[in-house]
Amino acid sequence: MAKLTIPAQELMYSGHAACPGCAAALAMRLVLKGLGPRTVVSIPACCWTVIATPYPTNALGVSVFDNPIESTGASLSGLRAAADALGYKDFHVVGFAGDGGTADIGLQALSGMLERRTNAIYVMYDNEGYMNTGVQRSGATPQGAWTTTTPVEGTSRGKPEAKKDIMGLVLAHRPTYAATLNPAFPEDFVRKVEKARDLTGSRFLHVFTPCPPGWKYSSEESIKLGRLATDSGIFPLFEAENGKVRITRKGGALKPVDEYIHAQGRFRHFTPEDIQAFQAEVRLAWERLLRLEKESL
Amino acid sequence: MIASELLAQAAFLDGREPQSFPFFGVERRGAPVTAFARIDDRPIQLRTSIEHPDVVVVLDPGLLHTTPVTDGLKEGGLLLVNSRLPPEEVVAPASVRRATVDATRIAVAHGLGTASTPIVNTAVLGALAKAAGVVTLDAVQRAIDQFVPGHRPENRLASSDGYESVRLAGPMEHGAPVLAHRLTPLITVPEGPLATRPSSDLHTAAWRTLTPVVHLEKCTRCNFCWKFCPDDAIGFDSNGFPVIRLDYCKGCGICAAECPPRTIEMVAEA
Ligand SMILES: Cc1ncc(C[n+]2csc(CCOP(=O)(O)OP(=O)(O)O)c2C)c(N)n1
Ligand code: SF4
Ligand code: SF4
Repeated sequence: MAKLTIPAQELMYSGHAACPGCAAALAMRLVLKGLGPRTVVSIPACCWTVIATPYPTNALGVSVFDNPIESTGASLSGLRAAADALGYKDFHVVGFAGDGGTADIGLQALSGMLERRTNAIYVMYDNEGYMNTGVQRSGATPQGAWTTTTPVEGTSRGKPEAKKDIMGLVLAHRPTYAATLNPAFPEDFVRKVEKARDLTGSRFLHVFTPCPPGWKYSSEESIKLGRLATDSGIFPLFEAENGKVRITRKGGALKPVDEYIHAQGRFRHFTPEDIQAFQAEVRLAWERLLRLEKESL
Repeated sequence: MIASELLAQAAFLDGREPQSFPFFGVERRGAPVTAFARIDDRPIQLRTSIEHPDVVVVLDPGLLHTTPVTDGLKEGGLLLVNSRLPPEEVVAPASVRRATVDATRIAVAHGLGTASTPIVNTAVLGALAKAAGVVTLDAVQRAIDQFVPGHRPENRLASSDGYESVRLAGPMEHGAPVLAHRLTPLITVPEGPLATRPSSDLHTAAWRTLTPVVHLEKCTRCNFCWKFCPDDAIGFDSNGFPVIRLDYCKGCGICAAECPPRTIEMVAEA
């Protein structure tokens, strides 16, 4: 057998309740491969609450703390205080929350945790919408995308607003470590989890997780879409240690966004002009990132 | 759920007092769902799920291998399955009357859904009208006209084909045991802390419509399939070749799509 390029240990059990092809399920599997068993995962209301606990079972081989949707950040501060009080050494306090529970509803708790410099790892899996409740738009939904609350009918043509710059919000707090991760690149993914694991302080991981029913594509394409998102510059891979930004994947020229857009039902209504506008935004964001890499310290 | 609702609508058009409601379980794409229908000549006050039905209708034949579908079915009750098999070959307890209809073939022939996800509701309802006699075919077709959003002529034809082609078998002398063991455990409230068992105690095979088949002669043992499976449903044999754990595979097709030498093929189950 060829050498394994990511750890063999499995701490996410089969039999969980994610949709077929769910990249958020793969993301948890990879996160736990990197962290190991001495971990507590705090999960707010989101797809992962349902995935983790098909009653009366638990899909994770680590402790799970179930918390209200707005309080993941606060729960991490509390869990770390408890672990310290109990004298736990080499123990990972981890949040695993959706984009809605992080970038919208739980933003103040996240900001508080980062300001307190809580020694914990916050993982946001970004399926670009409130998926557990049936595909509503979130602050992380891309501009123009169809959701049930940003329909494509009458005068409505998908989400009018742009996607929030979540990494920008996080980096403004100057955490110990922040990175973007994509399960389509498992080796880079696990390397970043292990790097976060070995640092002390507030760490934030932004994970890109395509969602077949929410984005309207066929389940076997989850990895392909992830790869396209990074290779087109829509979800660039980078990390920031104490504010110093480094792009971790630069594949030469960026691919045009067309293939990514055409592969998904949520963009089916896009005209060539819509695609051009989307492309222009992606190029600008990429140039901003290149500049940040050069200038950040 | 739609089939149960349409059945209730048809019964109403027949002048009867129907009721239809889904059972809320895991609502994820591909996860098996259950819906109930009660039909009577008087208004129905009962609002509970049905534990001892007169008829069980199975739209996905794969469920017969994973779920004890006839649990609670009354003595002499009817089991109607969407299946290519003759009814005598359907595995069920002795006392059960069986019926089969190849609704998948009918649906595909009329362009309802796709080969991997055929929409079999209306063909099965036609078959049910004949096999159980609880509604008339005419009422089923009027319900289709009123409540089905698209492909009405095709759906009407599918229901007629189901009605014409359903095959029936009476109770048999020797019933096969339904399943050697229960794969989906009964839900009982544990006395101690909740959720102490791993989710791998539950099987998710029934979520699948397509099954990965590995053609080992092309396999380079690169591990890509294993790396990308969101259900951790791939292991290795002692030679390092991938083995699909079919109790858990949900049939997403990622392993087949990501395998560089295209070793894995997704095939429809019989
Ligand atoms: C205060 C509050 N409002 C609403 C809900 C209902 N709710 C449960 S899960 C969910 C969706 C969360 O979306 P996100 O955080 O993006 O995670 P995803 O479901 O997409 O995985 C919502 C709105 C809730 N649990 N609590
Ligand atoms: S809705 Fe999307 S994110 Fe949620 S379980 Fe299904 S595929 Fe995963
Ligand atoms: S089809 Fe392949 S990748 Fe998908 S669940 Fe089954 S084994 Fe895993």
